[in-house]
Amino acid sequence: MADRPEREVRRGRKGRKKVCSFCVDRAEFIDYKDVAKLRRFISERGKILPRRVTGTCARHQRALTVAIKRARHLALLPYTSD
Amino acid sequence: MAEGKNLYETVIVTSAKLGEEGSAALVERFKALIAEHGTVQSVDDWGKRRFAYPIQKQTEGYYTLINFESSPEFTAELDRRYQITDGIMRTIIVKRDPRHVNAQKPQKAHKAEESNIDVEAIAAEAVEAPAESAQ
Repeated sequence: MADRPEREVRRGRKGRKKVCSFCVDRAEFIDYKDVAKLRRFISERGKILPRRVTGTCARHQRALTVAIKRARHLALLPYTSD
Repeated sequence: MAEGKNLYETVIVTSAKLGEEGSAALVERFKALIAEHGTVQSVDDWGKRRFAYPIQKQTEGYYTLINFESSPEFTAELDRRYQITDGIMRTIIVKRDPRHVNAQKPQKAHKAEESNIDVEAIAAEAVEAPAESAQ
């Protein structure tokens, strides 16, 4: 994801419209136990990535945030990593 | 479904210090407790897992997921018991939406498949992106 040619996208000021990966999957809810999936939405430091980076829709971002926080509580995901 | 009953799921994280048997015995006690006040639907033992961060200076624990049905009052009691039981590091009790219960299981089974699809989608995106900006 990170090695997409960002410069070219920005130059045209158009960019590719990102689609919410949860909408694509028709996900009705986001499972806090699915660590592999949740990992894609946190930064290297363990922060939750913003919508503008991941393209997640508002509704799924809210659900995702809850799922990540639950996973953190259970030590499935880090709160922070140094 | 009986009235006043809800579906819940709970994850119990027990200390690795208890050992496999000690942890299984502890989980067994809670299973019995849940069975007294409701019905245990399924138990999923995840085994020993590394914590994402140390808890009480420990780095590992045993994870167990229990799906059950009970009255909403019972969850408070269950949580209280969790709090006063030694050897439990973390717990969570989450209400399951009956509409999503069926969707939940296939999702777990196809976890590997899903991630494959995603890799492809990302790859396709990466290929498309330069083509688009060239226009």
